[in-house]
Amino acid sequence: MAIAPAPTAPRGGEPMPDDGPAGDGAATPGRAVRLLRRLLTFQTLLVGGSVVVVGYLALVPLGYLFHDTFLSGGGFSFDAFSRAYGGDSQSGSMMLNSLWFAFGSAALALLLGTALAYVQVRTDTPFKGLFFAASLVPLIIPGILYATSWIFLGDPTIGLLNTLVFKPLFGASPINIFSVWGMIWVQGLHLAPVAFLLMVAAFRAMDPSLEESAAMSGAGRGTILWRITLPLVRPAMISGALLMFVQSLESFEVPGLLGLQNGTYVFTSRIYFVLRAYPIDYGAAGAYAIGLLAIAAAGVLLSAWLQRSSRNFQTVTGKAFRPRPVELGRARPLAGAAVIGYFLLTVVLPIAVLIYASLLKYYAVPSRKAIKTMSLNNYREVLHTPLAFTALKNSLVLGVGAATVVMLLTAIVSWVVLRTKAPGRRLLDMLAFTPIVIPGLVLGLALSFVYLRSSLPIYGTLLILLISYCTRYLPYGMRYSSAAMAQISPELEESAAVSGASWFQTFRRVVLPLMSSGFLAGWVYILVVSFRELSSTILLYSPGKEVLSVLIWEQFENGQFTTLAALGVCMVVILVLLVSVAYRLGARFGLQGDSTN
Amino acid sequence: MRTTRNAALAVSALVAAALVTACGGSSPGASSGTANSAYSQISALPKAQQRAKAQELAKKEGNTLSLYTSMTADVATPVAKAFEKKFDIHVSVFRANSETVLQRTSQEEQAGRPGGDAVETDFVEMAAMAQNGFLADYAGSGLDKVDPSGRFTHWTASRFNVFQPAWNTNLIKPADEPHSWEDLASPKYKGKLTVEISDSDWYENLTKYWLDHGKTQAQVDALWKAIIGNSKVSKGHTTMMQFLSAGQSPIEAMNYTYITDRAEKKGAPVTHLPADGVSKIPAFARPNGVGMIKDAKHPAAAWLFYDWLLTDGQQELVDLGLTPSTKIPGDQSLKGTTLVPFDVTGLTKEGADWDKKYDQLLRGASAGK
Repeated sequence: MAIAPAPTAPRGGEPMPDDGPAGDGAATPGRAVRLLRRLLTFQTLLVGGSVVVVGYLALVPLGYLFHDTFLSGGGFSFDAFSRAYGGDSQSGSMMLNSLWFAFGSAALALLLGTALAYVQVRTDTPFKGLFFAASLVPLIIPGILYATSWIFLGDPTIGLLNTLVFKPLFGASPINIFSVWGMIWVQGLHLAPVAFLLMVAAFRAMDPSLEESAAMSGAGRGTILWRITLPLVRPAMISGALLMFVQSLESFEVPGLLGLQNGTYVFTSRIYFVLRAYPIDYGAAGAYAIGLLAIAAAGVLLSAWLQRSSRNFQTVTGKAFRPRPVELGRARPLAGAAVIGYFLLTVVLPIAVLIYASLLKYYAVPSRKAIKTMSLNNYREVLHTPLAFTALKNSLVLGVGAATVVMLLTAIVSWVVLRTKAPGRRLLDMLAFTPIVIPGLVLGLALSFVYLRSSLPIYGTLLILLISYCTRYLPYGMRYSSAAMAQISPELEESAAVSGASWFQTFRRVVLPLMSSGFLAGWVYILVVSFRELSSTILLYSPGKEVLSVLIWEQFENGQFTTLAALGVCMVVILVLLVSVAYRLGARFGLQGDSTN
Repeated sequence: MRTTRNAALAVSALVAAALVTACGGSSPGASSGTANSAYSQISALPKAQQRAKAQELAKKEGNTLSLYTSMTADVATPVAKAFEKKFDIHVSVFRANSETVLQRTSQEEQAGRPGGDAVETDFVEMAAMAQNGFLADYAGSGLDKVDPSGRFTHWTASRFNVFQPAWNTNLIKPADEPHSWEDLASPKYKGKLTVEISDSDWYENLTKYWLDHGKTQAQVDALWKAIIGNSKVSKGHTTMMQFLSAGQSPIEAMNYTYITDRAEKKGAPVTHLPADGVSKIPAFARPNGVGMIKDAKHPAAAWLFYDWLLTDGQQELVDLGLTPSTKIPGDQSLKGTTLVPFDVTGLTKEGADWDKKYDQLLRGASAGK
């Protein structure tokens, strides 16, 4: 508790019911009625309801996990931990590999995402239009496809970068994707959009007056960037770093494809191993997840501590502002070239490999023979996949539904966490972050356990998938929302309240529009990643309720990489369109546009 | 202090809310009674009349079947279609990997809300379902053609996945082809092999085969050490085939022959047979099995599927390039291979131990490199 100072402002509506059942003696009936009336306002119902829903979503899988970990052997015990970490499990060295991999990927992604976002929002770089949608492409491509494309690019013997570029030019094959650096590279690029989305929202909501003052006082451009701009967007950077770090810790796609080949085992390979065996040792799986949970919890506390002086980041104040793009001047063509270079490397190359593969019958290094066999058959097959359109529709419904529900819930809950002094708010913050470490399969099991025993018609419908996605993406929504909320000064809410606005009016007409950049960023993120969610989906979907990720998995199982590549290309096209539409609509509803060119 | 207590209260309120929802409804009555009666009505008749009775009962059930299977989509879809065509029974297919099929069935059985009528998946999961009492017995004429080694308590082998090495023919010339599992330990394959991270069933079968055929434990251990020393580790048999086709790796220590055959048919330069077309490498054939859920909602349809898959359905599997569990004329899937028995019993009993041992073997290898 020592590192948990209260936020600066006690304002903004009533505190949570901290004077609830604590009971200071016998209350008179009149007081009770008054108390009840106070508790039953629309605000308390909405806020309380959101808190309960978020708590419920997070606690169901967590409870299931804890039960299996500590009580699976009959009584309460720590046996699961010794099974998981003891013996010759090499957990220590794997954890070190994991930490290194996660740290490297998060750092690379943060660096790239922040730089891209800065260039996008705050400079007059050319090609901005291309920029935005393209920045999201690595997020859209399913991890397994992205990693495979990179293998075809960076393999020491057949990698195209080696065979087509380095070998002919320099006579050597220096690139080896099967290394820790390769893993960090692929994971970092794949994650960069998470940071990019967060940082774009943060830069947009930034009052440039401080930078201008610094410039007036004679600070150079570099100094301003380093001493003023970046510190101001710290909440978003911390949120991004935390999300990406924990996500890298618990992912197995890149380490499974790239790491195993050179013997780099990461921590999640243990979880994978345990969950694949029969009978499954749920206790051990839970013990691993709890290990990750400890790291994640420390991360949440650390980020709360780093943001302790919340006033410093509140750039959205009562004063009107418009982030002015920095004129690059002579550096403009250079920046343009850098932008193009980046996209060649991270978007064009892997997508080109996918398009190339999607035209073949089986993947082969480019040759006259391979080129002769090219055809559009794989696309025809995708279009004729039974259920392709049902799956697309279901995925859309779920993606839009989960994104909307999560962002609305987390907007309210992050308000509770950041604006009130409600007891337990930090716990709530942490609780909302826990689903990120729960393995998808465990989440699936927990949900099927609960809803198979509920008479509500949820199991076997799309609703259970919606609940699963809402749970899984809660941590992301929470980070996006609270990063946006941290930038808004409470004085705006106070003025609204002074002018007679109710809490709900204030929230709907002041807070939500002001955080709309962050809200939309989170919404887009959830929409995109929910298209790929498989680990809980595969257990919970029902025949006739297929979603795209199940179809992708089926193509993958069928061994049709080339068809899968075609499907991936289609997904990129559809989602880029969707995201563009979302941002167009967002621009109409109060998003400060920055489309100066 | 107050903060902690209030937080605790808040948490317990949430837990209570969760519990209320969780226990909100008692599980609706399972249909085990009706299922049992349908199964016994069918099995009470002479074998020749069973199918007709099942069809009659299936009609009363509404002519629908829910199938849980780990067949890949390109197999499950035509299989379901062929069954639909034959009996005019609508099939809805839940497709997942074998572990998930087991998970889902277990969850539903424990809650008393079965969703599947028939299951078709890998032997480990079939055995687990049988052990847990999820499956009903089938005693129809479909069993007659199945070899006794393919009949198990409560379930029956429906098809086989055959274990063989596979290689890229551009990278491995006929002179360098492996002719025995032992060959994989040869120094000439250093850095050329790939093994799959979860193939402990192959490890178990080959280890026991070697021990049964005169090798000492020390010799077997040395062979494995050399094989793994030659290898890189990868994940997923279909992914591996992708990389083998592309020439990223020259040899896979083990892949399923149907995966290799399928890639070869598409024109990829891969094979599991030596240039002369006959492999002497002992081929372990791992069974996949079919079962009927004990308290199924559509037991008669489940019975029909079980019966059909072991009879007419076998031809369908052959047409799809798979290895059937009965002798079917025109089946080419085993051409050139030398079949040996697969150790179902050992793996059912000690599968987890072998998982661990294999995992240790792989990690030891990587640490030693």
